[in-house]
Parts: sequence; structure tokens; C-alpha cells
Amino acid sequence: MIMNRRSLMTTALALGAMKAFPGLSFAQARPLVFATFTGSWEEAHKAVLVPAFRKANADAAMVLDPMLSVDQIAKVNAAKANPPIDVMLHDPGPALVAIGQDLVEPYPVEKSAYYKDLIAEAQEPMGPAPFFQVVGLTYNPEAIKTPPTSWADLWKPEFKGRVGITNLNSTLGTGWLVEIAKMRGGSEANVDPAFKALEELKPNLAAVAANPGALATLFQQGQIDISPGNFNAIQILKARGVPVEFVAPKEGAIAFKTTIHIVKNSSNRELAFKLIEASLTPEVQTTLMNPPYLIVPTNSKVTMGGEIARVLAKDTAELKQKFVFQDWKKINEQRSAWIERFNREIKI
Amino acid sequence: MGTAPASRDVTSYGMGLAAPLALFFLFFFVAPLLQLLWLSLHNDTAGLHWGLGQYLHFLTDPFSLSVLGSTLLLGAEVTAVCLVLGFPIAWLYQRVGPKLQTVIILIVLLPLLTSVVVRTFAWIVILGRQGIINATLQSLGVIDTPLKLLYTQFGVVIALAQVQMPLMTLPLITALGRIDPNLDDASCSLGAGSWRTFFKVVLPLSLPGVIAGCTLTYAAAITAFITQSLIGGGQMLFMPMYLYQQASTLQNWPFASAISIIFLLAVLAVVSVFTTLGRLSRGYGGA
Repeated sequence: MIMNRRSLMTTALALGAMKAFPGLSFAQARPLVFATFTGSWEEAHKAVLVPAFRKANADAAMVLDPMLSVDQIAKVNAAKANPPIDVMLHDPGPALVAIGQDLVEPYPVEKSAYYKDLIAEAQEPMGPAPFFQVVGLTYNPEAIKTPPTSWADLWKPEFKGRVGITNLNSTLGTGWLVEIAKMRGGSEANVDPAFKALEELKPNLAAVAANPGALATLFQQGQIDISPGNFNAIQILKARGVPVEFVAPKEGAIAFKTTIHIVKNSSNRELAFKLIEASLTPEVQTTLMNPPYLIVPTNSKVTMGGEIARVLAKDTAELKQKFVFQDWKKINEQRSAWIERFNREIKI
Repeated sequence: MGTAPASRDVTSYGMGLAAPLALFFLFFFVAPLLQLLWLSLHNDTAGLHWGLGQYLHFLTDPFSLSVLGSTLLLGAEVTAVCLVLGFPIAWLYQRVGPKLQTVIILIVLLPLLTSVVVRTFAWIVILGRQGIINATLQSLGVIDTPLKLLYTQFGVVIALAQVQMPLMTLPLITALGRIDPNLDDASCSLGAGSWRTFFKVVLPLSLPGVIAGCTLTYAAAITAFITQSLIGGGQMLFMPMYLYQQASTLQNWPFASAISIIFLLAVLAVVSVFTTLGRLSRGYGGA
């Protein structure tokens, strides 16, 4: 074999390309890919879910590939026949999009050992909900001495220029708007009352954040004292020493199902199922419920404890009573019109 | 190994050397751009029906046009602030000793060495209700209640100006460095005052740098998604956020594509105005 500079270069380039784009090396067994969310989700899953899965499945290889829901959908859409992701995690809005675009498989419910233990709201045949996200009122206890009790408290004159909200880009912002609509006699199909209420809220508004994460910064900087907020995000802030508290308003805390799905045509279907099973076990959910994660469990066998029992619910029965679930199918129908309206009307 | 051609023009370069980059651009820039254009010419999100609906929607909608207008205006404001603040620094750089020059260049480059996110967060700390500015003014007794600086147009302009400042200062330093210092002396000895010398000699000769700096700053300021959304908040809508909303939250890719194409054309128009000015100034500078 003659080795000259050119053939050496070609080989080197090819090897380099294979290293840089592992997808080039044709379909062979690759590890299970779980697209979780970035940030605290990734940390929690890396520390708890992945070890539990590997322990139960003879150290099966898997990787976390954290990305936003929309990116997960785009990536799977781009390669439907041989998707680069095996397990997706979604908020309610994107979950319906993924199901609507035929990107996920029905969950093999009859095979599952834990599905039947999930509380009714978490039993989704296209992909169960291993976790809930909860939205309530967050406030700065140093500035606000009497804890707020209702969404309506945001409109109190004493909070002039102290209230923060987020726009409708986020699940949180949209869900909150729907809740306000319901409070004022509207529904998922009619948010007119909420927009009227927003008009009245304007004198109190100090900030309309571009995303829920920005709300955290605004609390830290004393820019706002009260806002709708995500239970988990607030726990992270609290752990950092920021004076914030979470209360579930008397109208009910908004609960979003975070659902987990097997991607259609996944080459690791069996392991994907096993990973989802692991996420539904009482053991994993109990660990994730404890500090520092404080993720609300969906398996009814988990005994609520700690901060979650104190602030949210002591048991499944109370949880059902205190949480409101929204109809995201209805919400998705009109969401773009609402976002457009919000863009136009909310200027402070 | 092949045999090299016997005679070769040493002053010409083979285009082959540029081929890797050209190929790279072809695959990763031109192709996606064409795909974007293709997508924007569809009336439905599935991309089945051809039509100009997305463009019509944008161009007949006063709200969308106002977003475009305010974005272009924002760029102009940031560019103006950068020019006014950056020019003296560049001018100073040419007139101090080598040691101070190192200090100035370090100060100018420093922002580039930290991430945009970090710089933007620093501005949140500075502009906030209990931020440095408000705390200072309150302790001095100048104001009673904190000023609203964060989430205002003013805040966005100031933060963007700082974030993009190096893009203005560096071309200015280069341009001013090319001016023969003797010209200043000549102008003075012919009886012109310092201001006259500045406006008649220094400024015209530095115009190529001004144009280059303005183009870079402008393009960077109007597309600065992070700074715009963190300092401007959710209710001040500029084109990058509008685009993100349509593409990411609403999955309305055809409309998002149309927005990007329109935005791209608007920016190209502004940049070509700058370039035309640059060409004119070259004639002016040489005269």
C-alpha cells in the first residue's frame, strides 16, 4: 500500500469528520438518548433518574441531551425515520404538538408496573406525567408582611409598581392568563376577561419579563415584590438566600403535567420504556421530592413530605383539591391569537 | 505528485485556497438561507400552499411594521451613542504614550472578553430599582422614589451601547491611526482653530472608520437578542424576539421565515446606505 500525503490527508479528514459528526457512522447500536430540559431538570435527572435507570438495567448506556421542547420537536421532525432522540420530555403545550405531528408512540400501559399507581391526571396514554410543575404566587416576605392569598391580590393598590408577570411565550405566562380569565368569568376558550383585567393591572406592573427565568433576577434585584411563579424556580432562589416565598392561591395552584414520551421509530424502544418506568417509580419520585430538587411527585404511593407537604399538599387527595389542571388542547387553539393580542395591548 | 506548471504568474492566487470556506458557506449559510426563503413563500405552516400571504400579513399589519421600525430606530440610537462616546476614546488613543495606549486598548477590548450574558446581567444590577444608579441618587437625596431604568428604551440603548462599543472603537482607532499627524500641524499653522481642524481634517479623513464602525455596531445592536430581551423585558418587542416568538413558541415557521427575510432586507438596505456613504467619503478623503 502506497502512503502519500494526499491519501493520508483524506483519511485524517474522514476520521476527523466521523469524530465531529458521530451521526455519520451509520446506524449501529447507540446509547439511549433522553432529551431532558436544561438547568435544574438536567441536574436532577443526572443525579437521580440516570443512576436509578442504570442500576435497574445492568448499566445500560444512556446520555442526557438537554434541550428545549421546541428543539426536541424540530430534531425529531428532521429525521422521523431514524430519530436522534429516544425519550422526549414536554410541557403540556408542546406535548400536544408532538402528539399532533405523530412523533411519539403510545405508552405500553399494559406492560407498565407503575402507570396504574399514577394519580388520574398523570395517566396520559401517549406518555405519562412523572412530574408536576406548580405555579402559584411568589412574593418577597421582607416587603410584603401579610402573605397574599388570591390571584386577585396582585390588583391591590398597595402593590402599585411592584408586580411582575411574564409574557405568553412561556407555559407559565399562558397558564396564568387562563387562570385570571377563569377568575373573572372566562375560560380556556374565552380569555377576554383576562385581557380586561390586565388593563386594570397596568398601574401595578413593574415588569413584564421575557421569560420566567428573568422573574427570578427581578426578585433578586428588588425590581418586583410579587408575581406568579414556578414552585421549583422559587425553591432554587430560596436556597440561594433570596427572600422569596411561595403560596398556593385559594383559587388553586396551576399544575402543568410534564409528560415523558417514547419517540416514534426509536431504535431503543425497550430501554426508552425502561427509563420512563424508572421515572415513575416511588423511589425515584421520592428522592426527587426531597431537597434540593423538590419536584412534585405524580405516583400516589409517594408520601408527601418536607416543603411540598408544607406549602402544597399533604397527600394525593389534598393535591387534587388544591391543583387546577387546564385544557391545553383548547388553549393551543387560540394561543397564537392571544400572543399577538398581548404583544399589541400590553405596553407599560 | 503531479508536475507543477512550468511558468506561473506569481502575482495571482489560485481561488482554490478560498474553496474550503466557500464550500462551508455554501452548505451552512446559503443553503439554509434558500430554505428559509422557500419556507417563507408558503401560506400554511405545513408548507403545502405557495403564496405571498406571510409577506402581505407583515407588510399590511401596522403592528408588525412598528416592531420593524422601532428595531431599526433602536439600532440608530445605539450607533449614535457609540459614535459620540467612542470617537473621543479612539482620538485619545492616538495622542497618548505607548503605556497608556495599552491601557486604553485593554479597556476597549475587555467587554469582548466577557460573555454578553454576563455583561447584560451587570447592567440589570446597575439599572435596577435598588441598583447602583438608583441607590447613589437616593443616598445623595437627588430623588425620593427610584427611577425606572430597567425595562425602558433608555436602558436598552445604554446597555447595548456598552456591549457593542468595541465594534465602534476598534475601526475608529485604525482609521485615526492612518491619518498623518503632520496634517493637524499644517492645518493649525494655516490658521485653523482646533475645532475647525477637527471638522475639516480629522473627521473627513476618519470617515471610512466611522462608516465601518457604524455598520458593525448597527448590525450587532439590532440583532442582539439577549440584551434586548433581558434589559427590555417582555413588553418591548423587537424583531429578534418577534421572530423567536413566532418560530419557537408558536411554531409558525413560514411567518417567522418571512419576518427574517424582511428583517434581512431591511438591514441590508441600511448597511448599503452606510457602504454608499463610505464610497463617497473615500472620494472626499482623497480630495
